Amino acid sequence: MIRMLTVASASLLLLAACQQQPVATSDKAASAATETATPAIAGPGDMAPAFTLVDAEGVQRSLADFKGKTVVLEWTNEGCPFVKKHYSGAMQALQRDATADGVVWLTIISSAPGTQGFVEGEEAKAWKAKHQAAFTHLLLDPTGEVGKRYDAKTTPDMRIIDPEGRLIYVGGIDDRPTNKIEDLAGAENFVRAALADAKAGRPVQTAFAQPYGCSIKYPETVDS
Amino acid sequence: MRLLAAFLVWLTFAASAAAAPSALDQALKAGAAPSAAGPQRTERIEAELVAMNVWAAPGSTAILAIRQKIKPGWHTYWRNQGDSGGPTTLTWSLPDGVSPGDILWPLPERQRLQSLMNYGYSGTVFLPVPIEVPASARPGQTLPLRVTAHFYVCSDEMCVPEDLDLALNLPVRDGAAALDPRFGQAVQDVVATAPRPAGIEARAVFADGKLTLTATGGPLAGATPKWAYFYPFEGGVIDHAAVQSGERGPQGLTLSLAPGRGLTASGLKPPLAGVLSTDLGAWEVSADQGAALPGAMGQGLIDDGDGAKASSAGSTAPSDFAKAALFALLGGLILNLMPCVFPILAMKAAALSRSAHEPTEARRDGLAFLAGVLATFLVLAGALLALRAGGQALGWGFQLQSPGVVAALSLLMLAVALNLSGVFHIGSGLQGAGHGPLARLPGATGAFFTGVLAVVVAAPCTAPFMAFALGAALLMPWPMALAVFLMLGLGLALPYVLISLSPRLLSRLPKPGPWMETLRNLLAFPMYGAALWLAWVYGRQTADALALLFGAGLMLALALWLYGRSQAASGTSRLAGIAAALSLIAALGLGVLAARAAPASTDAAPSSAHLPSRPWSEAAVQAALAEGRPVLVNFTADWCVTCKINEGAALSSPRTAEAMQAANAVYLVGDWTRRDDAITAELQRHGRSGVPLYLLYAPGQAEPRVLPQLLTEGTVVDALKDAAR
Repeated sequence: MIRMLTVASASLLLLAACQQQPVATSDKAASAATETATPAIAGPGDMAPAFTLVDAEGVQRSLADFKGKTVVLEWTNEGCPFVKKHYSGAMQALQRDATADGVVWLTIISSAPGTQGFVEGEEAKAWKAKHQAAFTHLLLDPTGEVGKRYDAKTTPDMRIIDPEGRLIYVGGIDDRPTNKIEDLAGAENFVRAALADAKAGRPVQTAFAQPYGCSIKYPETVDS
Repeated sequence: MRLLAAFLVWLTFAASAAAAPSALDQALKAGAAPSAAGPQRTERIEAELVAMNVWAAPGSTAILAIRQKIKPGWHTYWRNQGDSGGPTTLTWSLPDGVSPGDILWPLPERQRLQSLMNYGYSGTVFLPVPIEVPASARPGQTLPLRVTAHFYVCSDEMCVPEDLDLALNLPVRDGAAALDPRFGQAVQDVVATAPRPAGIEARAVFADGKLTLTATGGPLAGATPKWAYFYPFEGGVIDHAAVQSGERGPQGLTLSLAPGRGLTASGLKPPLAGVLSTDLGAWEVSADQGAALPGAMGQGLIDDGDGAKASSAGSTAPSDFAKAALFALLGGLILNLMPCVFPILAMKAAALSRSAHEPTEARRDGLAFLAGVLATFLVLAGALLALRAGGQALGWGFQLQSPGVVAALSLLMLAVALNLSGVFHIGSGLQGAGHGPLARLPGATGAFFTGVLAVVVAAPCTAPFMAFALGAALLMPWPMALAVFLMLGLGLALPYVLISLSPRLLSRLPKPGPWMETLRNLLAFPMYGAALWLAWVYGRQTADALALLFGAGLMLALALWLYGRSQAASGTSRLAGIAAALSLIAALGLGVLAARAAPASTDAAPSSAHLPSRPWSEAAVQAALAEGRPVLVNFTADWCVTCKINEGAALSSPRTAEAMQAANAVYLVGDWTRRDDAITAELQRHGRSGVPLYLLYAPGQAEPRVLPQLLTEGTVVDALKDAAR
């Protein structure tokens, strides 16, 4: 009896002592691998990645088609409150002014099927009239591939590409990261400023600004 | 007829005239009406403006908070939202003289959304905001406070901006206010734990496409964090979604951060400010540009806690589970020797030895016993897990947080120990359950119910030995928890089952005899030990109520002795029974008092007393400055709650005392409890109408530096270092 007791309590103490071992740390190799595996994302000054997408009318459009012209890429999602603020008139006005100057304005929807902002077929054809937009083409990117290629994270997110195919502006549309329409007045619109710089032949003053908005609704399966 | 018509017309006019002012009244009221106080709700979020204390004293800083209750699957954001969404902003509408401070943001969660990373909150969140209540506010007044809280409430699919108008009517009264009973404690906890400066020195350098942050000193010195993550206040500086790897050293740590696009495009714009979060705590750091600090490397790699968090949140390492299960099995085995259980088993063992020549019957009995034990444990565990799921912190491990429960457990251990010592017997109640009608049923049914009774009786004995296994089980997901409980049951039933299965062991069973009684008495001593240990824990948890517990224990012992006497000698049973009941009542009364005893306050005693201080006066300040010594001035008052919080947190620690000594600084305290005019004038000079106000004068500088209203040790230490330079 006593022997059993002693053995039992001894093993109990031993087990208790074993509890103090710290938990194993995570794999270091994984974190190291992530660093080297990340592909270089094109920033201001780099060549803009090539892409080909089908537009709302069903016609294929490639970036190469517009070589020799200034191209603006605008990621959008009509359900996002931040986009709604800009589409209350300001974005359409900017599109009109830019296209009047000969700039090619490509609006891209990278929402996955079934998510907010996704359109196809008749709905896509009616998008321009519905929002009274003035873009050159509406490109549909349901797999999110092109969005990821440009590291677009939010709607709205803007890129400006010069006639040689180089990125001259990357980032948010202005410096007021809210969804309130009253914040449009007095905000500095970086796209308008960059286009003005490009038109005047000046280097773009602000080549990057932190983008803001809702997250782009990529499908889970697309790897970056 | 005409008269009637005239009368009717007059009536109509009068009625409309009467109605018009009230319509006007209503219009006025609607325009000026304060929004309803209390929680405001939308489909996704419930928000409320609450105060930490039940009233505010004039001339003090009160702490309000925006309470958010967010629907599951949705979240709101931190001051830097990360890659998408937007921070919560507040637009205040306050009476004259009342001015709001900045939101004191609690540590956010990392919310990964595919390839994006956001920093935000989910569930129930409090955002504390300090507001200054002017000295001109009169006690008896009520301040109508209104704020429009603008939230971006987002899920994985969409973002919905919500504007909620919140209102709170805050009474103004003299004296220190108690915590608001509903949310005061929760707000105070957030204020205490929100990341704030802690005197950590930090440097950042951006080279070769890598951003390196080193942080040393303060709470990091000599610490061994397992993981660290940096949350910057500004977007675009780091790639929020990237992994952060790091290394720690004797004085601090180094983090490698992937640069954000803003950094790559425009370079590093110092200072790099943000929150450094580790498993040991989270603090605000501000890094100047510069080379790595010494002592921040060389002691091993650390990760960013994403993996660690995932494991603590849901899955448990299989090795942890195996250990807990094994421990539980061992605990169950030891339970067999426990006096609560042994008598039953002894009886059944005696029955077994009688049927030693019928092994099949013995086997069946053994298995039925096992089934009974496991079934009861399942039911107990199920009930416990249901309660746990019901949101109550009930559990054998968790109970040791509440002084009331510790006191009750201590008394229970005492009672069990007295039973083991033979002071009284649990007559035909539990211990005789082995004889009870259910257990006496023939064959397997009887064995099943003996199993059930074994568990029921063993439950009070499990606490000291099984605390670990049960604690682990309650932290694990419920299938694992259930499995641990079953292992306990298996351990309990194992000896009996083994014996019943193996006929040879049957003959080796010790015969019941006087050794049982000796063992019982021996085992009383671990129980006394447990009772004493719990009394000690209780003494540490409460301010001064140990005497109450001792008294309760004494009365309980007396009651049980009398009860035992009444059992033994039937002649005196009546008298002894009554006396026992009376002592029991006394014991219960004292026990309840002990349970209700106030827990020891966790913050230190009057803290201005810890730092040697002198009363403030203009002359004293000038005299100290003339000597070339920096001066730290603390304007405080007894009824100022924020002052007390700051004094406890920042002005009474050994580090602050050291920093004061190192800077050769003078500490002056201006006590504004009676609102004397000199201090009022001084407060107004600095644009304040109330306390607390912290000023740091550096020799050679005309104007003092005003320290923040929510003070931390780190802020004071940093400021003193700067002043001494």
